[in-house]
Amino acid sequence: MSNHETPRQCRACAHFRNDAKYLEIAFKGLTSLSSAYGSARSDDGICLRHDRFISARSSCTDFVPATSQLRA
Amino acid sequence: MANVELHGTHAPAASLRWRELWLKEDWWAIWLGLGIVLVAFLFFANGSSIRWIAVTPAKWSSFSQLEAHFAANYVRYVAQFASWLAVFTVALTALGHKPSEFVPSFIVLYALSIIIFALGQWDQANSYNLEPPLVALVLGLLLSNIIGLPRWLDAGFRVEFYIKTGIVLLGATLPFTLIIWAGPIAIVQASIVSVITFLVIYGVAVRLGIDRRLAATLGAGGAVCGVSAAIAISGAVGGKKEDAPIAITVVIIWAIAMIFVLPFVAQWLHLPAGIGGAWIGTSEFADAAGFAAAQTYGTIAGSGAVAGTGDQAVFAYTLIKVVGRDVWIGIWAFVLAIIATTQWERTETGRKPEAAEIWWRFPKFVFGFLAASLIITAVTASYSLADFNKTAVPALVGPIKDLRTWAFIFCFLSIGLTTRFRELAGAGQKPFIAFSAGAVVNVIIGFILSAFVFAAHWESLAR
Repeated sequence: MSNHETPRQCRACAHFRNDAKYLEIAFKGLTSLSSAYGSARSDDGICLRHDRFISARSSCTDFVPATSQLRA
Repeated sequence: MANVELHGTHAPAASLRWRELWLKEDWWAIWLGLGIVLVAFLFFANGSSIRWIAVTPAKWSSFSQLEAHFAANYVRYVAQFASWLAVFTVALTALGHKPSEFVPSFIVLYALSIIIFALGQWDQANSYNLEPPLVALVLGLLLSNIIGLPRWLDAGFRVEFYIKTGIVLLGATLPFTLIIWAGPIAIVQASIVSVITFLVIYGVAVRLGIDRRLAATLGAGGAVCGVSAAIAISGAVGGKKEDAPIAITVVIIWAIAMIFVLPFVAQWLHLPAGIGGAWIGTSEFADAAGFAAAQTYGTIAGSGAVAGTGDQAVFAYTLIKVVGRDVWIGIWAFVLAIIATTQWERTETGRKPEAAEIWWRFPKFVFGFLAASLIITAVTASYSLADFNKTAVPALVGPIKDLRTWAFIFCFLSIGLTTRFRELAGAGQKPFIAFSAGAVVNVIIGFILSAFVFAAHWESLAR
């Protein structure tokens, strides 16, 4: 599987959320001693489909383009 | 489960690339920190100084003295506040925060910081153990946990941002030659402790039946750099969504407890400042918490209660924690990502770890720290020690150090103001036991290395 930025990477998937503000709400206590805006996090985010915290460069067969509508 | 919006459309998350230069806190810490250093140097080079704006409360023994100080200098405080507000608002707006929330929040933070700073300058403060970092932390914890603060106020309580900016400014007060001389020992000592601590936490966690990815997340939190490391490793190994919050809770509990315990145990043991600082550097988990403990021990040393100077405690801590531990997070992430994808249970991530991960996750603020040190060391290289102390310290290094102290107080207050114990995720007994096992080993080995094996090195640091 290629690691170069491709359209089917998690970063382009509707299930993936990696904006810093979202992560600081999702991970309670994160801002007490850290933040989601730091370099250490890179571009990791939450996959709502698989309940994982993963790199935006990941991919899987459940990919859905981010412009699609999702309901919880 | 976090109460976050789970549905709706959102734009694809574009790769950061060059946008990282204004979308990551690390880079803004560099821009602000080095900006202050360069402005300070320009003033100094022209025969002037930023001392006027780097005002701090003076030592006092009566309220009338304190009152007189503020009456005589209130314009400087207003100017300083406006300057901090301006640069922080620019930075945090670029990062995506709302100025309408940050501005009032920072007003609160600055007002509380003046109180904390002034209290620390009371000539009886040491007698009552009113160390500013501890007072700031306790005050913040009381306000956020007992009284309660509206959530939107958190906009100005940016712990990590303030500590990174402070660390860049700290670089300007730490000679580059010292980093070169003491850095290798710091790396060796920190690496020994980090690897052993990680293996203990990971080993105990797996033995207790904890998932390997969570075990690795906990291990990194205890061995490398606390919450930031936990987040980095959790993402690198593709952990479950609930792994990071578990590690965050455990790290916070231990880190905050250590802020209080370490300085006073070190004092009880009469550890010289440099040795105490090094021990705190291997024993604390997060930069912000560690600086609170190290600065506290620095103040204790400055009062004469233990041998050494305040700077020795803070410098030793910085070398161990920042140079010895923080900078390696990318390597830890890369190695553990390889292990996770090749050895552990396969996940759906379909990703091959890349060596570039080491760069992506590298704590970029460290470049600012090193650059600040290099700049000041270079511009003062021709000074004799006497001239350096007579000229450069009061007009160049001293004001930068004072601004650094402000940034640190902003950070210490923010730790308490954002730590809401009731909201932390439940960690469970097993993760707490595993982490604690590693923390205990960490403290013991760190003590042996700091107080015995490398004692002479740390005791003579920056003397």
